[in-house]
Amino acid sequence: MINYTAIFHALRPEASLVVGALVVLGLDLWLGRGRTEGQRLRLSSLVGLLAVAAAICASLGAGSSGEVVDGVLILDSLGLATRVGVLGLTGLTLLLAPGTSRVRNPAELVAIILFATSGFTLMAVAQQLLLAFLALELASLSLYILAGFDKSRPASAEAALKYFLLGGVSAAFMLFGFSLLYGLTGSLVLPEIARAIAVNEQSTLLMVALVMILVAFGFKAAAAPFHLWAPDVYQGAPTISAALIASASKLAGFVLFVRLLWSGLLPAAGSVATFDSVPGWLPVVAGLAGLSLFLGNFVALAQSNVRRLLAYSAIAHAGALLLGVMAAGVAGPGPLFYYAATYGLATVGAFGVIAVVEQAGGCQSLSDLAGLHRRSPLLAACLLIFILSLAGIPPLAGFFGKFAVFAAALKVGGLGGPLGWLTLAAIFLSAIGLYYYLLILKQALVLGPAADRGKISVPANAGLALILAAGLIVALGLFPSVVLGLF
Amino acid sequence: MILTPLHLCLILSSALFCIGLIGALTRSNAILVLLGIELMLNAANINFIAFWRYGPNPEAGTGVLFVVFAIGVAAAEAAVGLALVIAIYRHQRSIRLQDARLLKG
Repeated sequence: MINYTAIFHALRPEASLVVGALVVLGLDLWLGRGRTEGQRLRLSSLVGLLAVAAAICASLGAGSSGEVVDGVLILDSLGLATRVGVLGLTGLTLLLAPGTSRVRNPAELVAIILFATSGFTLMAVAQQLLLAFLALELASLSLYILAGFDKSRPASAEAALKYFLLGGVSAAFMLFGFSLLYGLTGSLVLPEIARAIAVNEQSTLLMVALVMILVAFGFKAAAAPFHLWAPDVYQGAPTISAALIASASKLAGFVLFVRLLWSGLLPAAGSVATFDSVPGWLPVVAGLAGLSLFLGNFVALAQSNVRRLLAYSAIAHAGALLLGVMAAGVAGPGPLFYYAATYGLATVGAFGVIAVVEQAGGCQSLSDLAGLHRRSPLLAACLLIFILSLAGIPPLAGFFGKFAVFAAALKVGGLGGPLGWLTLAAIFLSAIGLYYYLLILKQALVLGPAADRGKISVPANAGLALILAAGLIVALGLFPSVVLGLF
Repeated sequence: MILTPLHLCLILSSALFCIGLIGALTRSNAILVLLGIELMLNAANINFIAFWRYGPNPEAGTGVLFVVFAIGVAAAEAAVGLALVIAIYRHQRSIRLQDARLLKG
């Protein structure tokens, strides 16, 4: 007998998000007539923020009470933290939206952001392949629409189509991999799959399934060599959508990835702790991580468009996050979660600054940020914090994220194997990364503004969101144990 | 080696998946790429049905359930995909992927 009360209790965050989305659409239909788009966006965002707040309360209420419905959902500390994390990042994105984005359908924008978020929160607690697939597709389909939301710009449509086509191929890879896993183990629930794999001998078919799932997650995480969509989407998508794609979807995706690999495919992990590595998914993930770190950091050096630069830096960060995934077996998911959450905060903030500058006359190339300290000291100060956190400068949260992940990775096998050397390379490449981050700061803080660029007035809500994000980065950097101690 | 019905189904689904992948990677028409993706998704669905039918416990119905949901997702994906194809057609008056080259670097 299925316990529907337990299901409802566990899924209240998703329920409040979906109800919120429907209320947003209904209210806009009812009250929106005859009002300007700015007013409608403010109303929709306000309702959206209320729905997100209700969802945060509901997630805290659901707590970490263990498995629900025969292990389909798992409410543990990682799931709870991820739910609150993605909801917080979505809240910041919604707070940024009014005044910084000009859209013709404001209510639909907010509703689709809420649908995407319910996908993220489901990904955070999914422990079964069907639910994982549905949550991932709910999130992905919403993000494709968000990427193409600005119908007036051809770049937005092009970005969305590229994102959709590559994402569709990756979804097919994932579904095929899941079907092989189901065939090999006869189950969809992750711990049962792990038990079945441990009993059976390792077959070629299992390796095929593993490779397909890794390809699919490589696409979703924008890890090289499956990163091709990321720069185009970051550049072409509306800024608000890019902020969501770069932050909350990353966090939820990596948490689902960790769950799938460590609780579902643990017996097929192999090993990268020593140089005579055992075949499994760990060596493949190590390859993806190394390639992403190198390609992301080096290609970012050559970028002149600030959004593409952030995209390549995101690829480099995906490499570091994959190190965290590999270390999660020994050190637990704490370092990975801390890294992904603080990276998401810094990215939302950076895209928020870009969104505000965009309203004051465009923000594509690096030189559009020139003289930001004179045009708006608040934006320049916030950008300084976000970029330094992305670069990993202490005492900001980005530094402790990198520190925790690299320390955890070094604990796995020391310097005696590929993982140790990869970590050393990652530390070295972070130093290279500092160069292109400083290029952004040089434009914003050192150079003077172009003659035709005047002061920027920051909308109050966007200023609040930026200050919140910057404050959280500083606070989490000063007290990292608040998050790291949760696991 | 004797080919059981399960083997035949897996060979069929693998062939379908490869045809779909080749189509998705080589076609320049956005709708044909979409068709390729649908073929790949349906190859996975055949796998699920085959593993369910010839698996140890066909009473459970897990495979069929997954396929029903996967078909729903594929339909939603086609709807979103066609909407995006229309969006790009409005701007560049063609749906050839080679013409979509605003974003690069």
